Amino acid sequence: MSQTEVKDTKTKKADLEARALADIQDMVAACMQCGTCTASCPNSFAMDYTPRQMWRMIIFGMLDEVLKSKTFWLCSACYTCTLRCPRGLPLTRAMAALKRLAALRGGEQRKKAAFYKEFINNVHKYGRVQETGLMFSYFTTMMDPFLPLSYAPLGLKMLGKGKLHPPSGAHKGKLDAIFDKVKQMEGTT
Amino acid sequence: MKKTYGALVVGAGVGGIRAALDLAETGQSVALIDKKPNIGGILTQLDYQFPNDHCGMCKMLPLTERDGSSQFCMRKGLFHRNIDIMLSTEVTALEGEPGKFMVTLRKRSAFVDPNKCIGCGKCSEVCPVKVKSDFNAGLTKRSAIYLPVPHNIPNHYVVDLDNCLRCWQCYNACPTGAIDFKFEERQGFHILVADSDPKTFEDMKDWLQDQNFPLRHVFDGDAAVDALADQSRQVRILFLDMGLPGSDPEKVLRRGLELNPDLHVVLMAQPDQEQAARELAGQGAKDVLLKPFEPKRFVPWLDKLYMRMMSDETLDLDVGAVILAGGFECYDPGEVGDVLGYGREPAVVTSVEFERMCSGTGPSNAKLIRPGDNKPIKKIAWLQCVGSRDLKKKADYCSSVCCMISIKEALLAKKLTKGEAETTIFYMDMRTFGKEYERYRQNAEANDGVKFVNARIHSVVPADQTSGSKDIKVLYLDEAGRLQEEVFDLLVLAVGARPPVGTKELAEALGIETNEWGYCKTRYFTPSRTSAYGIFAAGSYNGPKDIAETLIQSGAAALEASRIITIYAPLTERTPEPQPEYRNVSRETPKILIALCTSCPILEQTVDMDSLVARLGGLASVAQVAKIGSACTKPGWEEIEALADKHSPNRILIGACQPYAYIPKLRELGQTIGLNPALMDVVDIFTPTAARQGEDKGAVEREVFSALSMASVRLLGADPTPLPPATQVTRKALVVGGGLAGMTAAMGIADHGYAVSLVEEQETLGGQAMNIRYTLNDEDPVKFMEDLIDSVQKHPNITVYKDARVVLSSGRAGRFTSVIATDQGAVSFDHGATVLATGGREANVYDYGFRVHKCVMTQRELEDQLASGALDTSALSGVAMIQCWRSRDEGRSYCSRVCCGQALKNLLMLKKRNPELPVYVFYRDIMTYGFAETYYTQARKAGAVFIRYDLKDKPKVEFEDKVPVITARDPILQREIQVRPSLLVLSGGIEPNEVSDLQEMFGVEVNADGFFQEAEYKWRPVDFLKQRLFMCGLARAPGNMSETIASAKAAAQRAVRILSEMRLTSGSVIAEVRHSLCSLCGKCISVCPYGARSLDLEQDMILVDELLCQGCGACAAVCPNSASLLRGFRDQQVLSVIDAALNGLNYGRARAAEPETATQTEGGES
Repeated sequence: MSQTEVKDTKTKKADLEARALADIQDMVAACMQCGTCTASCPNSFAMDYTPRQMWRMIIFGMLDEVLKSKTFWLCSACYTCTLRCPRGLPLTRAMAALKRLAALRGGEQRKKAAFYKEFINNVHKYGRVQETGLMFSYFTTMMDPFLPLSYAPLGLKMLGKGKLHPPSGAHKGKLDAIFDKVKQMEGTT
Repeated sequence: MKKTYGALVVGAGVGGIRAALDLAETGQSVALIDKKPNIGGILTQLDYQFPNDHCGMCKMLPLTERDGSSQFCMRKGLFHRNIDIMLSTEVTALEGEPGKFMVTLRKRSAFVDPNKCIGCGKCSEVCPVKVKSDFNAGLTKRSAIYLPVPHNIPNHYVVDLDNCLRCWQCYNACPTGAIDFKFEERQGFHILVADSDPKTFEDMKDWLQDQNFPLRHVFDGDAAVDALADQSRQVRILFLDMGLPGSDPEKVLRRGLELNPDLHVVLMAQPDQEQAARELAGQGAKDVLLKPFEPKRFVPWLDKLYMRMMSDETLDLDVGAVILAGGFECYDPGEVGDVLGYGREPAVVTSVEFERMCSGTGPSNAKLIRPGDNKPIKKIAWLQCVGSRDLKKKADYCSSVCCMISIKEALLAKKLTKGEAETTIFYMDMRTFGKEYERYRQNAEANDGVKFVNARIHSVVPADQTSGSKDIKVLYLDEAGRLQEEVFDLLVLAVGARPPVGTKELAEALGIETNEWGYCKTRYFTPSRTSAYGIFAAGSYNGPKDIAETLIQSGAAALEASRIITIYAPLTERTPEPQPEYRNVSRETPKILIALCTSCPILEQTVDMDSLVARLGGLASVAQVAKIGSACTKPGWEEIEALADKHSPNRILIGACQPYAYIPKLRELGQTIGLNPALMDVVDIFTPTAARQGEDKGAVEREVFSALSMASVRLLGADPTPLPPATQVTRKALVVGGGLAGMTAAMGIADHGYAVSLVEEQETLGGQAMNIRYTLNDEDPVKFMEDLIDSVQKHPNITVYKDARVVLSSGRAGRFTSVIATDQGAVSFDHGATVLATGGREANVYDYGFRVHKCVMTQRELEDQLASGALDTSALSGVAMIQCWRSRDEGRSYCSRVCCGQALKNLLMLKKRNPELPVYVFYRDIMTYGFAETYYTQARKAGAVFIRYDLKDKPKVEFEDKVPVITARDPILQREIQVRPSLLVLSGGIEPNEVSDLQEMFGVEVNADGFFQEAEYKWRPVDFLKQRLFMCGLARAPGNMSETIASAKAAAQRAVRILSEMRLTSGSVIAEVRHSLCSLCGKCISVCPYGARSLDLEQDMILVDELLCQGCGACAAVCPNSASLLRGFRDQQVLSVIDAALNGLNYGRARAAEPETATQTEGGES
């Protein structure tokens, strides 16, 4: 994806959003609301809308409300719903598409996407996840002084068990080729 | 000898039987084949059917000329003089053209001689094999020699060779030597082994020592060719080694097949030669065996191969037309893994298994107990759409029948547990689209407490793993999105339909097309025609159907086949059967001849024959008692004829086995000796002897004597007066209604050469179908209707009366006279059959702003505007559709079944013109049954939004600036939603036309919804209870064009059946009136269900139309003066039979004392 194109799409963000929404609508259009996805979802207990309601809202085009929800952020891509859906819909893919769509919007959504973004940056940088580095960059991005405090008990517990290490550069740059390839592929699709 | 039939019917389920009977009744000979060893198809396994939850299969037996076919329970067997049934038979090839097809059939042998098998079951007891019983859906085990259906008549054991171990234990156990393993014939069955390695031959010889085969050996190819050429010892099986020296195997193979095309060549290959051997197998070799052989597998394999080669038959038939009625199979959820627990939890069963559990012949004797732990079942769940409407399982279609099956099963469970069972049905859409379905569902919910939950169970887990209980917990999401758990004793999976196994092969053999789901393909306007001319699809072969529609489809296929036969291979001369001349014996003293068949050895073993003969001789009016060889053979029958000649009795009683098989024989005997077959009877004296073998001799003898003495008394009281003479049939038909149904029926009848009068109220033909502009499947209804109207008007046998009405109809069965009022004056018309196709109309209810606002219209108007181009779809901002606008509501308890399809049709057209257009459909249950389901999927994929609503929470419509504002509650989001479309389209449903005048004129009934009332919902879907009257089209029930065409053709076939007779005779059991006792109270007229009675005001007497009368006896029961009586069932006759039965009980005791008791039956008569 060339620089100019990126700029160009930014100006037409609403357009891009509409197209992304239409894509997701296509993915779930054949849904017949049987609820198998919701019932199979291991994370549904923590969601504010059930996946079934989410698909319904997408079909109705209620994008703003969908983006306010945390449901799709909680999808851990276990693929159980995709496996079980009697209509054979690509539900996990739709969840991921929603995450991308949300990231596109920025603002409040930028913050929600921050963890995903920092996670993948971290992987790119170190060739694997380095927890300390990940948390540090996540906190910096969020710019919320209270956020590190909320993670302090977990951090201490992990420290006590010797699970926290200083970032190591041993695998640095080893995934560059993969990331470049992905960038190249995304540019073409 | 090559046999010729009018038609070949493939598949002997109810669909095939209906088609066969329909053709047989018009005089065509029919070969009815089935690949299974029994007739009846899936219905042999289902004991109870909607709507009365009984069987009722016998109701499809012929009613006219009912003495002509054996009126036996259809679940036991079918007997008709024009139908030859061949079981375990499949079609392998077809050649020729309509009118003269040459069909090759392969009949797999049962290896049991039906003439010798007495059904004692000893073979089955000793058989070491136990495999899952197909009949009990795998819930019980059966042996490799078994009864396919326990209640069939005649019921013979069959060998399941695939599972047979070849241990020969059954062969040794059989007391009558009925099992035929062709042991003696083996000496003439030459097997040649061509192998350079002598060890192969030595081994084989060793292993096959007990098998009695002459085995020969050659070492090279040239010797093999020589041996094959030896005609005196023709080789039947050739074992050919791939590494044979001399002539190479390919040459030997080719030469061998030249010399004997039936030579069975088995290639023997080393593992590295397998590829070459497989290639050679394509050139005519039948099998490839890899060396080395295992004797344990080789010997039974060869034995079975021999058995098949010797016992299986290839039959060649010439037929005029072919009807395919292969039915459907049920989906096996075993293949999906364990998500729903099937196969893992004994508490999860399929609907077929559940039916067997409820059955008296099932595994638990009709007690609802759970397989596995025998716990009484009290709480049952049903899950719909298992294997249907499932894109992942490549089943984007609805199986159409499972919803009703589940409701029926729920009611059945209630009945079996005396109302205790709690029943819950989990569904996606309850598809109650058929006639009376919706009312059945509403009753089940409201009156019987069946619970309906709109949810899909997603997981099934054990309820309590620690206790070892087999109860299951089902998890589902309720509509509000809450996860629910519920414990059940049993979960029934409502499994969908699949095309029958072997459809693909059969389609290839016959050259017909299948659709994308593997069912036989038929076109929308020709629902019974396959892609090959002269081959027709009956029953559910072209898609799953319930019984009523199966029979309609079969009737339509029979009509098409009969039309082909009429055109290409007409019956050379359809001379009516000679009217038999019986001598009048009413003034003779009764003289009974009793003939006892002694062919079965166990009769003489269990009964003291001399004493029995002496006792029978002492019965009243018995002139002669004779023992004969075997009644079922020709010499035995000649014995009976000779006896009848010698003693000239006027009543004949035969004691033998299988009485149903004697009906045609009695008729022949009647003709030879001039005695009415109604004065003859055959009594089963075999069953008591076989069933009670080893019991006290006296008890068995008592039973045999009792059966015979009862029959002799019954014959004694039989009415010897000759039957009323046959009525001439007016071979013309009247069709009322010139719409699609009426015209199709008229064409069907007229094409058979009978004159038809078609009466249409309107000034033009066509009716409702003229409003249909396009169809879901891209057919052209406008052109179709134009062509149809054209051919009707040009048909030489059809007289069309437009702008006309039937004003009067009177007469007797087979000879009606109707008066048609036209603008030219009244026309009178004689006819033998009548088809009522008065049609229906789109219901209009002025509601939701209909006819107030321009933006509100019906689906039909939308279709019109879309077709004419009057509607600019790009100018629309959105379209909303409301389904079930006034259907399935209070006062309209039926589904109009076409509206959902119509809505989808318009929706897809809108989306095709303007893909961006938002479309909202408010629905209750989408009724896209059968293959229409795929259009529902397409509509959703196209982006239409479907919003379910409940009857108690209907969408509200308001108007703001003439724009409709629809407010409804979305059940998924649990909140109000509002749409403001530019168009609101309503589905009003179908109403029948007003027919009260016709009702009175023809004496027919309508149901609670105003549609014509058929004789029986399931088994006689196009017949009126009153004979010679038929119904079709919208006047019968709502349906699309395809369904209307099918019902019209079925009705036409029923009419052709009447018209094909020159004259009709009544049955021997009919009602009569003693006019001297009759007080003309008229009770019998109102009670007669067949409309056979009328009051003749001129003569002041009640008349009985003996052709309409079916001998039910309701009139005799209701008559206060005993003036109404049933010929052949008089009171004193029945009472003396009871007396004889009671005397029979005393027989054992009285025997020693004195033999006079039986003759006292005369006292009972006075």
